[in-house]
Amino acid sequence: MKLKEGKNNHTYVVEKIQIELNLERRLEALGLTEGSQITVLNNDKKGAMTVKFRGTRFALGRRIADNIFVKEAAA
Amino acid sequence: MSGKVINVGFIGNPNCGKTTLFNAYTGANLKVANWPGVTVEKKEGYTTYKGQEFKLIDLPGIYSLTSYTMEEKVSRECIMSDEVDVIVDVVDASCLERNLYLTLQLIELGKPVVLALNMMDIVEERGMEIDLHRLPEMLGIPAIPVSARKRSGLEILMHAVAHHKEYAKPGPFIHHHSDKTGHKHDHHSEYAMVYNDEIEDKIDAIIEQFRKKYPDMENMRWHAIKTLEQDETVTEQFPVDMSGIADRSYEKDIINQKYDFIEEVIEETLVNKNEKAEKTEHVDRYMTSKWLGLPIFLVIMALVFFLTFTVGDWLKGYFETGLDLLTGAVSAGLEAAGTSPMLNSLLVDGIISGVGGILTFLPNIFILFLALAFLEDSGYMARVAFVMDDIMSHLGLSGRAFLPMLLGFGCSVPAVMASRALEHRKDRLKTILVTPFMSCSARLPIYVLFSSMFFGEHAMLACYSMYVLGIVVAILTAYIISKIDGSKAEHALLIELPEYKAPNARTIAVYVWEKVKDYLTKAGTVIFLASIIMWVLLNFGPTGYVTDIAESFGSIIGKAIVPFFHPLGLGYWQIVVALISGIAAKEVVVSSCSVLFGIQNITTSHGMDSFVATLGAMGFGAANAYSLMVFCLLYVPCTATIATIHREVGSKKLTCGIVLFQLAVAWVVSFIAYHIVGLIL
Repeated sequence: MKLKEGKNNHTYVVEKIQIELNLERRLEALGLTEGSQITVLNNDKKGAMTVKFRGTRFALGRRIADNIFVKEAAA
Repeated sequence: MSGKVINVGFIGNPNCGKTTLFNAYTGANLKVANWPGVTVEKKEGYTTYKGQEFKLIDLPGIYSLTSYTMEEKVSRECIMSDEVDVIVDVVDASCLERNLYLTLQLIELGKPVVLALNMMDIVEERGMEIDLHRLPEMLGIPAIPVSARKRSGLEILMHAVAHHKEYAKPGPFIHHHSDKTGHKHDHHSEYAMVYNDEIEDKIDAIIEQFRKKYPDMENMRWHAIKTLEQDETVTEQFPVDMSGIADRSYEKDIINQKYDFIEEVIEETLVNKNEKAEKTEHVDRYMTSKWLGLPIFLVIMALVFFLTFTVGDWLKGYFETGLDLLTGAVSAGLEAAGTSPMLNSLLVDGIISGVGGILTFLPNIFILFLALAFLEDSGYMARVAFVMDDIMSHLGLSGRAFLPMLLGFGCSVPAVMASRALEHRKDRLKTILVTPFMSCSARLPIYVLFSSMFFGEHAMLACYSMYVLGIVVAILTAYIISKIDGSKAEHALLIELPEYKAPNARTIAVYVWEKVKDYLTKAGTVIFLASIIMWVLLNFGPTGYVTDIAESFGSIIGKAIVPFFHPLGLGYWQIVVALISGIAAKEVVVSSCSVLFGIQNITTSHGMDSFVATLGAMGFGAANAYSLMVFCLLYVPCTATIATIHREVGSKKLTCGIVLFQLAVAWVVSFIAYHIVGLIL
């Protein structure tokens, strides 16, 4: 599923990041690699959402959120 | 201990408290310049500890040492040059996990690194502990807990820097990796960060080639790792034959293994890692909420401007009384000394009323910057980018572009520079184009003067309307451009939301003092000069020194351009000259008016009364005043801003285009405003 479809306060595992190389590398440098965990904080709005990964909160624009594919983390 | 100055480079992620720590050492005694060739701020300062002098260099906040952004390139080049002897890596101990990524890259560079663990107080507050014994064992570098806020640990850090410089060799490392593979070189005793065998073999193979081809190369391991990552700078400088070694970039593998090692470090050194529901997330439930986010932001901004005008005006009263006393004393003194009337006129009408008039606005500007510093230091600014992202994306811009625009309320120069944080050039250009429409603090004196003269009790409303109009024009411009160039909403916002924290008095003091100093310097230089030039233009004509201002050079120039301003209700040569002088710096419009109309202390109440009377006699009323305010809001930005725009866009043609466009917008909007206000009043 897309990260944008994630529910608030749920944690997911990143499966794939499909976005232009520059952005992908920025995300990787921040620690958002395939297999890492990401928690959705606030996904109420249609556009941007807030998430938390590797101990830090970030705001992600919709296009980024639409192109990160995740699966539910085993509880 | 004595001898050579030790050069220390301060580096760290954005928002790790690096600048606060840097300021704790150097105070406000900084040398701020730009890195050669690029407009990334370069700060330098000095400190001494036990007779040893240290030169500190504050590097830009970055997340990694690759070379994708200007900031990263600058930092990397500086660290690798002789400019830096020891690296102080400032990390936010409360998010060690993310901060350690840069640390691992720095260690690989091979220069002495000292880890400064900042924000240990937050770590403690959350009931966590960091094993300060185990951490240096695993990384092979000293780790010093510091608190920039409480100013603790500062001396110990410099002590470690002085010592570590002498023992540049890292280690000893004590690791117990789970996958001990027994690599033939046993790198675990040499390096903190050891990759898996596949990558280590490749690194060895590349180093082998380096030894033959570039025997003088320093730190071959780092260059080999960068070659494996296919880093552009390194592969161009030191090309090697990669056939049989690697046929792709191993960057992802290298990143993943670094983060794997970081997890190992965190596992062993972070005790009691149970994260409670943090205050920040609780506050963010309101600040970033779907319904409340925007209203909260608007209320905060309204409060900022309310304070700027009310408290600022109250303090301004005292400054004006002081100025009145000074002018009286100087006039009396000069008359008693029997100096020539020409010199009297230059001093009293030219310099004191020009520069002094500007100084009375210091309280307003002080409070505006105080409020902006408060918002920035508390961590709220990043939330604004999130809150505004949806609206901004309708304009074809990211929420991040709103931050430069917000900074534009303070001063257009840093605001234009802040647009650099945007990734795409098109976004940057668009932001640079509209940012000067945000009403900067230099324009405030113009509004305050004219609105209190012509709008009486509605003066504050008239001032507010300028700010709103500026935002509306900026948004409309961005919207129309995005419609024309057909750029779709990018929705590529990516911004860290830092922990909320109580703003630090010292950080705010340094920030505000820098801005106030800029303002004072401007008053002493640009405005001082402009006042003298204006005085010369108005007191000399083709016939020499003139007593009738209408025969002066200024009047001749002004009269030639008047037709252009006639449709805006600004067809008065004095106003035209004042506007032209405002290109030097916007405040100059006020000081020029005082010189042009021969009114001393124009910002005081009797100064205003006589100014209103003079203007009224010329047929200049409220509608004209409003048109003037609008024109000042939107027309050509000041010389400092134009120079910054030129540096940022790197093209004379584009800069001219931007400036002409702003002039055209100013003309059209003032024309409309003049006629609408004329109908209402």
